[in-house]
Amino acid sequence: MFGTSDERRTLWRHMREPVLTAGALLVMLGINVGLGATLPVPHVWIVELLVAAVMVATILWFSMEVRHEPPLVKLFAGIGFFWVGILFTMTLVDYLSRG
Amino acid sequence: MSAGASDSAVGVKLVSHFATVEQQKRAAVLGMWAWLLTELLLFAGLFLTALILRLLHPEAVQEAARHLKFWIGAINTVVLIGSSLTMSGAIQLSRLGWQRGMVRFMLATAALGTLFLLLKGYEYYADYQEHMMPFLSDRPYELKDSPPSRLFVNLYYVATSLHGLHLMTGITILLVMTWQASRPGFLGQHQNRIEIFGLYWHFIDLIWILAFPTLYVLNR
Repeated sequence: MFGTSDERRTLWRHMREPVLTAGALLVMLGINVGLGATLPVPHVWIVELLVAAVMVATILWFSMEVRHEPPLVKLFAGIGFFWVGILFTMTLVDYLSRG
Repeated sequence: MSAGASDSAVGVKLVSHFATVEQQKRAAVLGMWAWLLTELLLFAGLFLTALILRLLHPEAVQEAARHLKFWIGAINTVVLIGSSLTMSGAIQLSRLGWQRGMVRFMLATAALGTLFLLLKGYEYYADYQEHMMPFLSDRPYELKDSPPSRLFVNLYYVATSLHGLHLMTGITILLVMTWQASRPGFLGQHQNRIEIFGLYWHFIDLIWILAFPTLYVLNR
């Protein structure tokens, strides 16, 4: 598909980061699937949620290239997840504190 | 013949209401992010409801979740991560002006998205066979003695079918864009369309990355 060695080198230079990102996501997915299939410890859901959060951050930062965006886009992306954080925190505080 | 050898000019055609191409590109990215955040809040409400159901009715939700096809969900996550990789490949090659390779990556992305939908369709079919569709009035629900499980199963269908609808829309747009992108001169005028669409595709992946643990993993 990519004939010359120069082209292959150029391709790898540009694809290195997406390949590493996908590899990291697959490793993290493997951890979550392993934990979900074996349930090794009580409250394993805390670890599963943390792994999922790191996966989301990886997609935002690397796949969606938020780190290369101007401050205004970074602010937008951050505020969106901040709102989700408020939504989850306030709702769960209510349900978790009910007698 | 190599895909990279046919380098195309890369650029964005300035439209009249922007002062510069850079301003135009930034406005497009910001507009896409504004829309993606409304989508994030939509799905967040569904995932939050799933967590609340888990808190209020742990046994019923676990019983229902045992009928979900955990391994198909896991394989589908791998498929979507793969599709994000090919979409990133299309974006990278569009920046290089390697039109032919970019088109192939776009087709691969659409194929992986379609594979996801096929696996999801099989999952729904298996659920149908197991009488796990409580919204069907003419088909008795398997867990009829557990009313709260209906809430979770119905929520599962709402969340996953909404995600599937987004994916189906994405595949359709991607195929149309692939056809446009295969024509001479596309990258010289509309390269940023590939980047903007890439944001949407990665976001679909992100939503599934959240849906899989919320629906399948946490409730086991």
